[in-house]
Amino acid sequence: MKTTLAQSPQTVEDQDFVDRVVAENSGRPGALLTILERVQDRNPSKYLPAQVLEYVAAKTDIPLAQIQSVVTFYALFNLEPQGSNTVCVCRGTACHTRGSRGLLERLKLEMGVSNHGEDGEAEKLSITTPDGEYTIRTVACFGQCALAPVVEINHEIYGHMNERALRNELDALEKERR
Amino acid sequence: MRIQDLSSFNAVKEAGLAKLLPYKPRIGVGMGTCGTGNGAEGVYHAFVEEIDRRGLDVQVARVGCFGYCAQEPLVNVWLPGRPLVILRRVQPDNVPPILDDLYLGRIPAELALCKIEDWDHLTGQVKYGSGFPEIPSWREVPFFRGQKKIVLRNCGLISADDIEEYIAVGGYQALYKVLIDGTPELAIEQIKASKLRGRGGAGYPTGLKWEMLRKAKGDKKYIICNADEGDPGAYMNRNEIESDPHALLEGMIIGGFLMGAQNGIIYVRAEYPLAVHRLARAVEQAKEYGLLGENILGRGFNFEIQIVEGAGAFVCGEETALISSLEGRAGRPRPRPPFPAQKGLYGCPTNINNVETWYNIAPIVAKGPAWFSETGSTKSAGTKVFSLVGKVKNTGLVEMPLGTPLKTFVYDVGEGAFNGKQVKAVQTGGPSGGCIPQEMFDTPVDYETLAKLGSIMGSGGMVVMDEDNCMVDVARYFIEFTHSESCGKCVPCRVGLDKGLRILKNFTNGKGVEEDLEALDELGRMIRDMSLCGLGQTAPNPVLTTMRHFRHEFEDHIRAKRCRAGVCENLALSPCENSCPLHMNIPRFLELYKEGNIEEAFESVIMDNPLAASTGRVCQHPCDDRCRRMNIDESVNIRDVHRFIADTIYDSDKYPALMDRICARKQTATGKTVAVVGAGPTGLTSAFYLALLGHNVTVYESNPAAGGMLRYALPEYRLPKNVLDKELELIERVGVKFIFNTAVGFDVSLNDLDSNYDAVFLAIGTWKEAWVYMPGTELKGVMPALLFLEAVSKGEEVHLGKKVVVIGGGNAAIDSARTALRMGSEVTVVYRRERKDMPAIVEETEAAEAEGANFVFLAAPHRVVGFHGVVKAIEVVKTKLGEFDASGRRKPVPTDEIQVLKCDTVILAVGEKVDMDFAKASGLILKEVGTVEVDRFSLETSRTKFYAGGDVISGASNVSNAMGYGKKAARNIDERLLGYKRTGVLSKKYEYDQTPPTQPSEVGRQVPGHLPARQRAASFEEVSVGLTACEALEEANRCLRCDIRTTER
Repeated sequence: MKTTLAQSPQTVEDQDFVDRVVAENSGRPGALLTILERVQDRNPSKYLPAQVLEYVAAKTDIPLAQIQSVVTFYALFNLEPQGSNTVCVCRGTACHTRGSRGLLERLKLEMGVSNHGEDGEAEKLSITTPDGEYTIRTVACFGQCALAPVVEINHEIYGHMNERALRNELDALEKERR
Repeated sequence: MRIQDLSSFNAVKEAGLAKLLPYKPRIGVGMGTCGTGNGAEGVYHAFVEEIDRRGLDVQVARVGCFGYCAQEPLVNVWLPGRPLVILRRVQPDNVPPILDDLYLGRIPAELALCKIEDWDHLTGQVKYGSGFPEIPSWREVPFFRGQKKIVLRNCGLISADDIEEYIAVGGYQALYKVLIDGTPELAIEQIKASKLRGRGGAGYPTGLKWEMLRKAKGDKKYIICNADEGDPGAYMNRNEIESDPHALLEGMIIGGFLMGAQNGIIYVRAEYPLAVHRLARAVEQAKEYGLLGENILGRGFNFEIQIVEGAGAFVCGEETALISSLEGRAGRPRPRPPFPAQKGLYGCPTNINNVETWYNIAPIVAKGPAWFSETGSTKSAGTKVFSLVGKVKNTGLVEMPLGTPLKTFVYDVGEGAFNGKQVKAVQTGGPSGGCIPQEMFDTPVDYETLAKLGSIMGSGGMVVMDEDNCMVDVARYFIEFTHSESCGKCVPCRVGLDKGLRILKNFTNGKGVEEDLEALDELGRMIRDMSLCGLGQTAPNPVLTTMRHFRHEFEDHIRAKRCRAGVCENLALSPCENSCPLHMNIPRFLELYKEGNIEEAFESVIMDNPLAASTGRVCQHPCDDRCRRMNIDESVNIRDVHRFIADTIYDSDKYPALMDRICARKQTATGKTVAVVGAGPTGLTSAFYLALLGHNVTVYESNPAAGGMLRYALPEYRLPKNVLDKELELIERVGVKFIFNTAVGFDVSLNDLDSNYDAVFLAIGTWKEAWVYMPGTELKGVMPALLFLEAVSKGEEVHLGKKVVVIGGGNAAIDSARTALRMGSEVTVVYRRERKDMPAIVEETEAAEAEGANFVFLAAPHRVVGFHGVVKAIEVVKTKLGEFDASGRRKPVPTDEIQVLKCDTVILAVGEKVDMDFAKASGLILKEVGTVEVDRFSLETSRTKFYAGGDVISGASNVSNAMGYGKKAARNIDERLLGYKRTGVLSKKYEYDQTPPTQPSEVGRQVPGHLPARQRAASFEEVSVGLTACEALEEANRCLRCDIRTTER
C-alpha cells in the first residue's frame, strides 16, 4: 500500500553524507551495497528515495539502471518509506514447523493489512499500515532457530512467540506511542 | 601492543591467561544472539550491578555460546582451583543466591548443568581444577555425549571480544608457525593430506582448491569467507563468529599467506548484526596487535580483511552470485567454468570458503593432518557442526564426527520428540536438502550417504518433524522459499518453481488431481537437471524426497482430500473434526446444544456417530489433543458432551420420535443386498449407513448379541450394557437384520455369502489373544484377557484367584485389572516399559491405581511357577530401556535381575491378533502380521465384492478407529453397488449461529463426576456419572468455533 508521506527533498547535509560514504568506499569490493546500506540507514523512514538513487548514480558513475537492478534485487532495500515501527516475522524452517505462518496471518489480521494477489504468500512481505505507524515484514531466517518461532520488533529479537505474547508486545508498543 | 616476536607473543598470552584464570572468581555470561534473546543481557547486568553493590572482587565476562541453546541463558562460573561449572536457564533473580553460594565456595545444585575440569583448545590446553563430584562432567550430559569440539573449540569458554583471551588458549600460534616455516607449498600439502572438505555443502577438497589458487597467475588475488548463511534452520556460522571471531581471521590470514593473496573479504548477511559487530571489533584488535595489516608478526606479510554486509538475498550464498554482489550487481550466478580460482572477483583469481572450513585450518596446522583424519569417516575427515532444531527436546548446536548416524542426533543428543509426540522425519540441508523418514535414521550423516537418499548434508541444518507436521505442507513451504529467492535468470528455475508451487498449493487446498503427482515429479527432475546454479539444481530436492518417502501423505491429500497432521486447514472443518475417525461435525452439535436445541443436537450427533453414548464413555478422544482451546486453558471435553446429549435423549420420551425422524431420511430401496460379518462397532456402523442408504443389510454374528468388544470385552463399569442396547434399538429400527449365533467360515461359508449377496463386508475384529511364550503357561490359573473379560460379561463362572498378576499395558490389561479388583482380588499389573509408554487411556490407568491396583514397570514375564499344576507365582525379569526402535520408543532389554511375584492367577493381555484360522480359510490375501490386505482407499480385499475394515485390517486398535472404517466402507460399498458416487444424500441443513464468540468463555474444563474409589471397587456400577446439563452447557460454551472461516470486519 502506498503511503502519503511527503518525500523530503535532499538537503545539503544529505548530499555531503553521500559524498563522504562514496569516497570512503570508492573502488572497494561490495562498495555499492555498503553505500546503499549506509544511506538508507541514515534516512529517518529507512528507505531510498528516487532522487537519492539518482544522486548516488551520478557520484559513483554507476549507471542508474544498474543501481535500480540492485535495489530491486535485494530484500534489504526499501523503495517506500517504512513505518515508525517494524514487526518482522521469521519464516524459516524451524519457525515454520513451530507455527510462524499462523502467527503472520494473525498479525496481518490485527493490523488490518493484507497482500492481495494470488502469489501473495511466495513473495517477501513488506506492507506498511496506512497511517505509517507499522511495517509488517518477513525474513527468510534470523538464525535464531532454537528460539522458534521468532518475531523481531524494532530490531529486538523475541523468541518462543505465540499469539498472546505477540499481542502483549504490540499492546506495550501502542502504550508507549501514546 | 604490536606483536613482533615470540617474547611479545608470550607476554600477550600471559596477559590473556591472567584474565581467563584470574586469582578471583570469574563469571562468564553466554552472550550470543540466542542467549540475548533469552534474557542474557539482563543477567549480565544483574551480575555487574549486584557485584558492585556488594563490593565483591569478581570478574564478569561476556563469553560466546557453548551450544546448548535449549538451556539458555548459560553462565560459566569458576572458582580458582575448581572446575568450570556451567549453569543453565539463569535469570536475573537467580543472581543474588548464586553469589551467596559462591561466597561459600558452593555451586547452586539446581542450576548446575555440568562441569569442565580441563579443556583441550587444540591450539592450547587449559586446566581449571577438580572437585564438585556431584556435578556431572560435560561429556556425561546427553546433549554433549559423543561431541568432539574442533570447530567450536573456544565457543562459550573465552571472552567473545578479547584477542588476548584468544591468544591465551593458543590462538594465532598456528599463523605464527606457518609464517616462520615459510613453506606454503608444503603447508598446502598438509591441508590436502588432512582430507578436509568444504563445509558449505558441496564438499570440495579444500587442499585442492587452495592449490589451484596458489598456482593461478595474477597480480591480485582475493580470499573470501562466505558467511552468508542463508539456510533457514542453520545458524552455526552465526554462533561461530559471535563466539570466536578470531579463529575465522586466523584461518583466513593463514590462507592468504599460503595462497599468495593479500586481500580478504568476509561477506556476512545483514540479518546477523551482532556477528558483524564482533567481527569488526576483532579486525580492529587484530590490526592493533600486528596480526593484520602490514608486516604481520614482523614476517613481512601484508594482509587486509574487509567486512561487507549482504542485503537479504539467499542466492548470494552461491559463490558466483556472491562475487556478482561484491562487484555491485544483482546477485545472479554465472556458469562455471571459469571457476573463481581462475577468474573470480573483478576477473582476478579468487578462493571462496565457508566459515566453518576456515575454522578447521588452525587446528590442522597445530596438530597435523594425521590427527585430523583420525576423526570422521573414510571419505570425509573431521567433524561438522549441526543445528538440531524443530520438534526435538534438546535444541542447539551439535558438533559430531562425520559419519555419525542420524538417530544419534535425534534420540541420544536430542533425547527424542518434545511433548511426547512421535518423530516422523528429519529435514537436512536446508532448502537444498530433503526429508529423511524415521525408518532410515540408521543412515550415517555424511556428504555421500545423505545424497543417496535424495537429500544433502549441506550447511548442517537438521530440522526435526513430528506427527503434527504435514509433509505436503513442508514440500510447499520449501518451494515457496526457493521460488521467492530465485534470481530469475534461467527459465527452469524461474518458471519451473512457479509451476511447482501452484501444483503444491492445489494439493494443500484440496484441488489436487492424480495427474499432478506425475507432473510434479517430471517438473522436479527437469528443474534439477537444467538449472544454471545450485539453487535451482537443488530446489526440487525437498519435493522429490517427500514424494518418495511420504507418498501416502500426498495420496491422502489428493484422493481422500485429508490432511492427517491437521495442518492444511482447507481440507478440514476444524482440528477436532479432522482428528476424529468419524469426522463428527463437533462445532455444530456443540452450538446446537448451546442454543437449547437438544433434539437437533442429537440428530447431528447420531447421524455422524451411531454409537454416541458408548463412544461417549470409552473413546480415546483424539480430539482432546487437537482442540485449540488448549492454548487458552484446556481442550473442550467433547466426548462427555456428546455422551450427555445421547444419554439425555435415550432417557427421555423424545427418543421414539427422533428415531422416526432419522428413519425418514432413509433413501429409496436400491434392491441391493449386503452381508456384514461381525456385529462389533465396525460392522454396526457400516450396517447403519448402508441401511439408511437404501440397501438390504444382514449382519452375521457368532455371539448371541450385537456389540462385539463393546459388549464382550469392555467391562460393565465402563460401559453399561443397557446403554449399548438403547443404541442398538435405532440400528434395528433403520432396518438392519441380525443373524446371531452364526459364525461365518464355519456355519456359513464365504462362498455362500458370495452367491447370495451383492457385496460382503468383513469386520470380525481381533479376537485372538497373543500368547506369551514362556514356561508355565500351561498351568491352571493362566488365562488370556479376552477370554476372561468375555466370560465375565456373559455372566459365566470364572475361577479367579485372590492374587492376580496382569501382564500388559493396554486397555485390555487395565480392564482386566479393574474387573479383577471388583471381584475381590488383589491385583498387580506388570508392564515391560515405563508408565508414559502405556497404550492404555490415561484416565483408565489412573482409575485402576485409585482403586488399588499395583503397578510394576520395566518388568517382562519370565516364567510361571506352579505347584501340583496350579499357579503359585510368576517370575519377571527387570528390563532397562535400550535403543530406539522403529516405533520411536526405546526397546526394553532384559537385565539379569529377576523378581518373584506370588500369585495364583496370571492374566495375559499383551495384544490381540486376527484369528488366523478364519483368515487363512477365507482365501484372502493377508499381510505378514496376519491382517487382511485391502486397498487403502476403497477397502476392497483381493477378492472382488469383498470388503474389510476395522481391527481385522488395522490390527488391534480402538472403537472410534473401528467405526471410522465402517463409515468409510459404507460409502465405498454404496458407490460400488450403484456404480456412481453419492455424496451428502444423508445430510441435512441445520440452522445455527455462524459467528464465533467475541470473547472466549472464562470457565475451565468441566470434568464429569465419578463414584468415589472406595465405592467403585466393590461393584460393577458405572464409574463415570457423566456431566450435568449445566456442566454440558458450560462446556459447549467453551468452544471457539474453529469451523468458521471468514468474518466481515
